[in-house]
Amino acid sequence: MTARTAGTLDAIEAKLQAGERLSYDDGCALFLEPDFLRLGMLANQVREDKHGDRTFFNVNMRFEATNVCEASCSFCAFAKLKEGAAGAHTTTHEAAWKELAEHPDPRLTELHMVNGLHPTLPFEWYEELLRGWKRVRPGVHLKCFTGVEIHFFAQKFGMTHEAVLTRLRAAGLGSLPGGGAEILHPDVRQRIATDKANGDEYLAAHRAAHKLGIPSNCTMLYGHIETFEHRVDHLLRLRDLQDETQGFQCFIPLAFHNENNSLRKLPEPTAVDSLRTLAISRLLLDNIPHIKAYWVSMGVPTAQIALRFGADDLDGTIIHESIYHSAGSRAPMALSRDELVRLIREAGRIPVERDTIYGVVEELPRAAVPEGALKVRDRMARKRSLALAGN
Amino acid sequence: MVKRKPGLVQNRYRRDTVDHGGRLRVVGVSFLNAQPLLHGLLSGLADDRMHVELAEPAELARRLFEDEADVALSPVAPLATHGGLEIVPGCAIGCDGAVESVKLVGDCPIEEADEILLDAASRTSVVLARLIVRHLRAGKAEPRYCARPAREIVATVGGKTAGLLIGDIALETRGKFRYEIDLGQAWKELTGLPFVFAVWAARPGVVSARDAPLFTSSLEAGLAARPQLAQAWARGHGGDAEAHLAYLNDRIRYQLDERALAGLCEFLRRAAEAKLLPVTELSFVGQDKPAFSPQRASVDSLLDYAADGGRLSFQDAMRLASEADTHELGLAADARRRTLHPEGVVTYIVDRNVNYTNVCTTSCRFCAFYRPVGHEEGYVLTREQLTQKIEETVAAGGVQILLQGGLNPALHLEWYEDLFRWIKATFPIKLHALSPEEIWHLVRLEDLTVQDVLTRLRAAGLDSLPGGGAEVLTDRVRAKIAKAKCTSAEWLEVMRVAHRIGMRTTATMMFGTADTQADRVLHMLKVRELQDETGGFTAFIAWDYQHDVGTRQVAGETGTVLYLRTQALSRLVLDNVPNIQTSWVTQGPGIGQIGLRYGANDMGSTMFEENVVSSAGTTFGMDAAQIERHARALGFKVAQRNMRYERLTVPA
Ligand code: SF4
Ligand code: SF4
Repeated sequence: MTARTAGTLDAIEAKLQAGERLSYDDGCALFLEPDFLRLGMLANQVREDKHGDRTFFNVNMRFEATNVCEASCSFCAFAKLKEGAAGAHTTTHEAAWKELAEHPDPRLTELHMVNGLHPTLPFEWYEELLRGWKRVRPGVHLKCFTGVEIHFFAQKFGMTHEAVLTRLRAAGLGSLPGGGAEILHPDVRQRIATDKANGDEYLAAHRAAHKLGIPSNCTMLYGHIETFEHRVDHLLRLRDLQDETQGFQCFIPLAFHNENNSLRKLPEPTAVDSLRTLAISRLLLDNIPHIKAYWVSMGVPTAQIALRFGADDLDGTIIHESIYHSAGSRAPMALSRDELVRLIREAGRIPVERDTIYGVVEELPRAAVPEGALKVRDRMARKRSLALAGN
Repeated sequence: MVKRKPGLVQNRYRRDTVDHGGRLRVVGVSFLNAQPLLHGLLSGLADDRMHVELAEPAELARRLFEDEADVALSPVAPLATHGGLEIVPGCAIGCDGAVESVKLVGDCPIEEADEILLDAASRTSVVLARLIVRHLRAGKAEPRYCARPAREIVATVGGKTAGLLIGDIALETRGKFRYEIDLGQAWKELTGLPFVFAVWAARPGVVSARDAPLFTSSLEAGLAARPQLAQAWARGHGGDAEAHLAYLNDRIRYQLDERALAGLCEFLRRAAEAKLLPVTELSFVGQDKPAFSPQRASVDSLLDYAADGGRLSFQDAMRLASEADTHELGLAADARRRTLHPEGVVTYIVDRNVNYTNVCTTSCRFCAFYRPVGHEEGYVLTREQLTQKIEETVAAGGVQILLQGGLNPALHLEWYEDLFRWIKATFPIKLHALSPEEIWHLVRLEDLTVQDVLTRLRAAGLDSLPGGGAEVLTDRVRAKIAKAKCTSAEWLEVMRVAHRIGMRTTATMMFGTADTQADRVLHMLKVRELQDETGGFTAFIAWDYQHDVGTRQVAGETGTVLYLRTQALSRLVLDNVPNIQTSWVTQGPGIGQIGLRYGANDMGSTMFEENVVSSAGTTFGMDAAQIERHARALGFKVAQRNMRYERLTVPA
């Protein structure tokens, strides 16, 4: 280990302990930090300071109303350009409502919907879709439409973001998912996502939501053509908006997958990149409460160890995921609630079933672990407080 | 009241500590010098309190460690290997000067020998011998040490080859060799202290203040009865009663007094310093404070000690397993890996796993691969199928075939010999084949010895053995998940013999079924112990049980976090095994990669197919390019290797 890198981590650790905010340069340095385990340890400390061992998950389902999309993002294996193209699919209201009505899990608390940017569906169609869902299962939270979709509606139907959101909320919208952020920096975004909301527009849609009291999540699609600097820049743009609005609940790093899209030739990010990115997100995004290890994107084993690299959320049971699976994800299509609970327990954490806005549905007991395992955290906490006292 | 030491991992894994009627399970050994200690107990002195049995010497420590005994007349080396046992005060088997029954013998002065053959039956004597030899050679390089059966040692010693003899055979060969060093005498000359060979060792907290004095009473009765004991021994085992009595009276010292304790502590200190035994503390039954305590009290210092290559005891490993943070374990294992493999090169092998038959008589609960004899889906690969698979492997740059299968009673030793000869004559490829289970199957089928079977297979072209089928090497676990399989001692015996005839093997551990943390640590210790003896293991590979369709075994302690912790711990415990492989085939490429920071230095093989795992639903594939990309993303260079871990490509 060179003196420089040791200095970097030491300096950053000191900053964190002093409660100082990390800078752009710190973020870039962390991406080059070879001591990957110590990086994980720092992120884990921040995670444990915020949440202890509590680890969140929810019982949710996925829905994609349409995969027909005007845009043609180069990483996207999901969208079909035209209605009628092979594989193109748009749901009917009845089919959509039926799917929710007949969802077998009585514990379902969330419907998560992300769509293509459909050229012809009228705005009222979406409103009616939400209203119908509220009629069949009023208790299920509707987390629908990315910032990109909100912006698309605003442009297409000549409304402001606020107007779009206000009408959708009236129809039943509860919150926005974090998708569509990709990489916000224009140098990258212009190359991979030319014809949809740009970075500022994505942020503007979320800002509008937050101002209306609609919470949202945010994401970053990493591991394609962007540099580490672009990632840090992206995270800091999110952090700046969060300073302004406090409306983001959770950040979700999304690993790029390379099948069935026009970036096939690019290698996918490996687990070490995923864990590193997640850990750095935890350290930089000091104002966003939760960091999610999205198991569909990173794979179940890596998501589990991610719970010790800064993540405190495993997303949900997710029935019917097709965006990642179109791009070659080998993760299972669904995990049962029991499986999620077991994954969390195996990581030495306490499973907490949450609703979309992080209300606790049920806090489960931790696993019956050998007595020593509990000593680990106490001891680490003691070490940390000693280190603090030493500063 | 059961007293426990602070910081001690309590033995929550204990099954019935006491046998029917609340009695302690006590195990002794059938040695002449043990007779006085056992005399009172065997004549019924404590029948209401204790259930006394005799066992093979090698069994004593195992029973104690695996909780099949509460108290055993144990050699002292296992005190250090375990680290959490308590000593019953007052009595021991020791000597103060010459002992006659433990000696180094040779045709040349012992310090000039190039090679020393060891009777590995007593680790304590082996360690003592090595300390004495080290002292005599005063800084010169160590001789080569090889474990051999006692009779073979007597037959082989000569020239520059010396030997260590223990017990009856040492007494019988008095005056047979030109040079002899009595190790009791040598120890006395070196330190001025008595030596302690064995003590009554107890699992922590099980011997009450009321029971402890019974052991001393038993000895008192035995000391008084020495003449009768010597006579009885001569009747039962031969030899001269007078000589036996003189040995008991003049050579063996039974008191565990201040001086004996000083001798014991000095031995453990020197052995730890020479990295032959773990650093340990000594505790006595009924005392709160350890009688001897090293500077290794905190988990932090223990991690540093392990990262430096310090030898860990059972107790140490248990403590790390339960009290060290996952990242800390990774950091310590990573530091240790860097010391052992400082060039930062990750290796892998291009080979193919071929399952030549799925017919098996064993029906392990965790196995989704096998079909019973007569089942319509049972197969034995034909030569044509094998040709295709091997040709594909050679074409892909493969250097080895890993051949494993079920225990198919239709396939005899000749079948394997023909097959191996044919493969080796037809293809330029190494044969890594037949796990110990399959070797035992042939031993039984053909009514031959392990050595016969292995020697014939080697002559037919077998290059090395895979370490599969080890599961977890404690019999408690094996009996639960694979009842019909060989015992852990049998598994180890195949490896011992294979190593002795010059084959290298790997060792594996499949955990996450009926095992606890204690079982997993015991498994590692057994591998470490055999490795001390033979040096034949090239690598250790652990993975957790992949519970899925077709298996009947419920999953126990599994998961990615535990996998990485276990792998890191194995890097620390197995201080004498050169390589640790990640098991990306079971864990997926991501965790295989991350595992390179948790102690592993090898990515295993490219694996075209692995039916036992993939039948249970877990299928991951990586080709050479992907393996290399994953390792390089962590900053490593990558090289291909063969089974002996010789590099076949330049690291890049
Ligand atoms: S990522 Fe979204 S906007 Fe881009 S092509 Fe795919 S569906 Fe359309
Ligand atoms: S694991 Fe091996 S021995 Fe056990 S049933 Fe399967 S093939 Fe047979």
